[in-house]
Amino acid sequence: MADDRFQAIVEEIYEKFKIYGVTRKEIESRLKLLLYEFKVPEEEAKKTIINGLRKNYNIAKSDLKPPLTKISEIEPNKWVSLKAKVIQLWEPNSPAIAQTGLIGDETGTARFVVWAKANKKRLEEGKCYLFERVVIDEFMGLKSVKVTSASEVKEINENIEVKEEKAEVEVVGALIAIQQNSGLLQSCKICGRVVKAGVCIEHGKVETNDILRTRCVLDDGERIYDLILNEDNIKALTGIGLKEARKLAEEHLDRGIVLLEIKKKLLGRYLRVQGELRFRSLTANKVEFYRPKILEEVEKVLREAEA
Amino acid sequence: MIRSAKREVAKRLFSKEFNSSKYKVGGEGEKEAVYVLTPLGLRCNRVFIVGVLLEKEEVKPDSDMWRIRITDPMGSFLGFVSKFQPEALDSLADINPPEIVSVTAKAKLLERNDRSLPLLRPENINVSDFETRDYWVLETAKATLKRIKALEMGEDKIVLEKYNPNLEDFRKAVIDVLMKLREEQTVIEDESEEEEDKDLGFELDEEIIDLSDFEIGD
Ligand SMILES: [Zn+2]
Repeated sequence: MADDRFQAIVEEIYEKFKIYGVTRKEIESRLKLLLYEFKVPEEEAKKTIINGLRKNYNIAKSDLKPPLTKISEIEPNKWVSLKAKVIQLWEPNSPAIAQTGLIGDETGTARFVVWAKANKKRLEEGKCYLFERVVIDEFMGLKSVKVTSASEVKEINENIEVKEEKAEVEVVGALIAIQQNSGLLQSCKICGRVVKAGVCIEHGKVETNDILRTRCVLDDGERIYDLILNEDNIKALTGIGLKEARKLAEEHLDRGIVLLEIKKKLLGRYLRVQGELRFRSLTANKVEFYRPKILEEVEKVLREAEA
Repeated sequence: MIRSAKREVAKRLFSKEFNSSKYKVGGEGEKEAVYVLTPLGLRCNRVFIVGVLLEKEEVKPDSDMWRIRITDPMGSFLGFVSKFQPEALDSLADINPPEIVSVTAKAKLLERNDRSLPLLRPENINVSDFETRDYWVLETAKATLKRIKALEMGEDKIVLEKYNPNLEDFRKAVIDVLMKLREEQTVIEDESEEEEDKDLGFELDEEIIDLSDFEIGD
């Protein structure tokens, strides 16, 4: 057995019993005995040690689960249980990872990783789960919740309101889709909602303002962002501002032409966006076409590949 | 607002990897998407490609079903566009090969008898440019090398068993593409330097030109 696997089992048992004064050493020597001398299967050895310790220290089974913790309070190297909502799934960049993404509760958000070896049912975006016996670690200053084979994950029938957190980010990705409700639109003068044919769902027939906005999907090959471009962003990229958009629409007697023009200029292009990320909604402060130094990058990748 | 619908990431891969795909995964349960499993272990449902549209041909007259071929540095992708992809169909009408295009597409695997045919169902097609294409090649090369590395670590048993891929062959193909790109990029840089030289030469010439050679004034 690999050394780190051995240590992981020791750690898992230790976390359960440390509040009762059990030492790692005690666990290690029992585990060694069972695994290496008696060649007992891993799961059996674990169960035996846990049962033995429970008997010795007179602990009820129900007391053994790690405490239910809020995300704002999790700390690296601790085993905990959490109730959280899966906010977003990202693309795992290693086959050792079954799923990865972002979870959240009323107190905040954290990354999570489900190891492929954990062999768990797949989590779904938007659903809430009880994560039992998960271990916390830290990667580049971000707390991350690991679901291992020791963990249990159950879907729960309650809705967790996630505390929204904003982050300043810089993202490079391809703009791969532009969604409905983009282009030269009309908004209700009373509530600001986008209206169709001058009719607001709340206020009926209303006076409107022209607005220029684009909702699109930025995709970096591993993660997706819902990107919202405002009038300034659109103008910076395409040269089409509100004034130009109105003129286009008048010339063609069709507001749809604005969206077509924007699509022609933006779809399939790489953008660099500096902005505010909330879950996966990215609001651009600054946006530009991405112009990397390709030769430098190519040489770097070649050096790595040939090494 | 949190949207619960899961949108698939658009994967970057070269035609060589895509066209060697023989298996599908997923599709268990109603909601789970079907993925094309490539020999380098990529599970793709949606892809993003920047390449040259070389052919565009109506499958049958007036069928409004178009067969397209888009090349990348390793070969070409086969795709079909029909009325079920209205956006792609609309923009394809205005694009005439050869032309650099970017394509977001669903990845499909047609299975007939013992054969399987990987193909694309474009969601949108747009005219692009060389700079975007070059960056796509770079990005795709990086992603491919990453997959090769993961397989070398033995991290994806299913793929290793199903395909037993020749990783050296794929690595060599990626390195060739990168070397070609480096060569092209070097030429581009030289050309822009040459242009600077020319400008400089012209200015120098101007200084030596005897103005009396010109008829100035009336
Ligand atoms: Zn209103």
